[in-house]
Amino acid sequence: MRNNASSLRVLAAAAGVLWASAAALPAVDPGVAVAPRMEFTPPRPGTYRLQRIQAAADATLLDPSARPVRLSAVTTGKITLLTFFYTYCADPIGCPLAYGALLAVRSGVGRVAGLERRVRFLSVSLDPTIDTPAAIGNYREMVSQDSALEWDVLTARSVRDLLPVLDDFGQDVSVEQAADGSARRTVHHMLKMFLIDQTGMVREIYTLAFLQPTVILNDIQTLYLEEKPHAPCSHRPDHLRSKIQAQID
Amino acid sequence: MNRSKIPSRLGIGGLLVGLILAASTVWSDETCNSPYMSGLIKGQEDFIHVWTLGEKGLGDGSDKLVTIDVNPSSTTYGKVIGSVSVGGRGEAHHMGFTDDRKYLWAGGLDDSKIYVFDVGTNPGMPKLIQTITDLPAKSGFVGPHTFYALPGRVLIGNLSNNTDKGGVTGLALYNNKGAFIAKYDIPTGTVGGVKGDGYGYDIAVNPAKNVMLTSSFTGWTNYMRSLNDVVKDPEAMKHFGSTVVVWDLKSMEPTQVLSIPGAPLEIRWALAPGQNWAVTAAALTSKIWLIKQSPAGTWTAKEAATIGDPSKIPLPVDISITADGKGLWVNTFMDGVTHYFDLSDPEHPQETYQKHTGRQVNMVSQSWDGKRVYITSSLLSKWDKSGADNEQVLRGYRWDGHALTNSFEVDFTKERLGRPHHMKFTAKPAAQVAFVDHAK
Repeated sequence: MRNNASSLRVLAAAAGVLWASAAALPAVDPGVAVAPRMEFTPPRPGTYRLQRIQAAADATLLDPSARPVRLSAVTTGKITLLTFFYTYCADPIGCPLAYGALLAVRSGVGRVAGLERRVRFLSVSLDPTIDTPAAIGNYREMVSQDSALEWDVLTARSVRDLLPVLDDFGQDVSVEQAADGSARRTVHHMLKMFLIDQTGMVREIYTLAFLQPTVILNDIQTLYLEEKPHAPCSHRPDHLRSKIQAQID
Repeated sequence: MNRSKIPSRLGIGGLLVGLILAASTVWSDETCNSPYMSGLIKGQEDFIHVWTLGEKGLGDGSDKLVTIDVNPSSTTYGKVIGSVSVGGRGEAHHMGFTDDRKYLWAGGLDDSKIYVFDVGTNPGMPKLIQTITDLPAKSGFVGPHTFYALPGRVLIGNLSNNTDKGGVTGLALYNNKGAFIAKYDIPTGTVGGVKGDGYGYDIAVNPAKNVMLTSSFTGWTNYMRSLNDVVKDPEAMKHFGSTVVVWDLKSMEPTQVLSIPGAPLEIRWALAPGQNWAVTAAALTSKIWLIKQSPAGTWTAKEAATIGDPSKIPLPVDISITADGKGLWVNTFMDGVTHYFDLSDPEHPQETYQKHTGRQVNMVSQSWDGKRVYITSSLLSKWDKSGADNEQVLRGYRWDGHALTNSFEVDFTKERLGRPHHMKFTAKPAAQVAFVDHAK
């Protein structure tokens, strides 16, 4: 009951924010264009080829122990699902929705033999001012519960250190400025989730209209089949193996 | 309070509110933008950017992006407040935003160059930041027409190829940094029992269906030739598209070819929840076609309405669907008429209003709330009318649901700008924040 009551309070607060937003409709809707729906059966893993969109950015960020970490160290070697977030984000069609999708994908990954150890989730805070190493440590503790899947959480020393990473990924943000014009905090972002292959190449980008956990899971399996076309994988018809191998070759 | 529980609570509340939103959100285009794009302008747009064909002897003669103040509360309302010349004339035609709405990609149908304008840093003062010139070399295609935002990418629908400059063409995919990723041929073989013609024009995606539609026009040899010559040449008239291709968006594989004779051009999805249809207008036959999903999941094309008198070849060009999918604006170029169709029954669209809006009219764009409608005049440099009929204007109208009332007009000839074609809206960002400028 207590949890339900808390959830309802959050819902009521969020609804209040929404009402207030609707009452003063801005010229530009800061949110995304559409909410996710899925009214189709997606193509099976390994029957299609994901595009090689761009190389993942590199930079030095901080882990929950405030140790410097090269971003490339956690965007290579495994299939990585990277999301930018902040721990206090309450935008109903922002971080919480992404978080729900990630949990659904993680559950699916866990059901495919051998896949869990080949996949990593990576959450990078958009707001290093609030999300200190200690704060992201709490977040990592929460998201890592009850799962063996690697889920790394990073922050940056400053907005200044973070902006080149966001710029390179094309992660849309707006930045609140201090009186002297310096960047103080990021205040809004367009939801994007980046699927990165083990070589560090971005292979898919999910915005809200695309945030379909079944498709994301299929895409992860498709990358897994690229790595190991003979590995066990759900939904993969054997007759497609030669086609997949041909694409890889 | 246990801090570690916060995300979970937010997740529950957020997801519930998200579901409420999903149920109530009306899906649509704001002047037909990609559904992947962020920052739709649901209030008053501040600026219209017009991709304008240069005309020899008029101003610098170059193609240019012209910016017009369209906020009625502004002291410069209805005035040109700036233009960015690209320093050449390459048949400026269409443009499209990147998914973050910060950059406009604008193409030249003749020179196949793609210009990237920064409209996010200061929408009132766009800047040309990049010119992409490798489309023909990388893809074999020429005539970049439609620029369609996908997450982190721009999908370009082309009109022609660099071998015979006919209508067989395809799609080219670039990332937002301007690097070529892949090409996809429009099918020329039989798909789903119908033979493809390989022609291209518009792109329209329905993400909830994982479906992309592409339409078909004609190649460089026709669109860069005088319209009078083309219509008098029976052989040339054989080389117009007559298909819409249905694609699996994820795999980028064609799944069906639909037969729609007469050059089906612009495609608009009705994206309200539960809707499963799109419309297109066939230019040469002057028909609205309904493209609809059957109960079996496949797609069908059906002639749904006639636009004007087809025997007079009014030439329907641009269309614009309303936010609720219940109305459609159609411009017919030859007679200069703007039509409004009631789409409440998409199987049987009914024309309920029309107005003569110019001696020649091509593009039509409407605001999200449908209260403002804008038209421009130019179709193609060699297809526009001549003499006094070669009117080159942008006109703004107010729409009260019953009639269009002219609110302002910009004469592009008097302003020595050129031929106005495609329009896109922007709005000023909130004052307290600065948007990150993605370096190119």
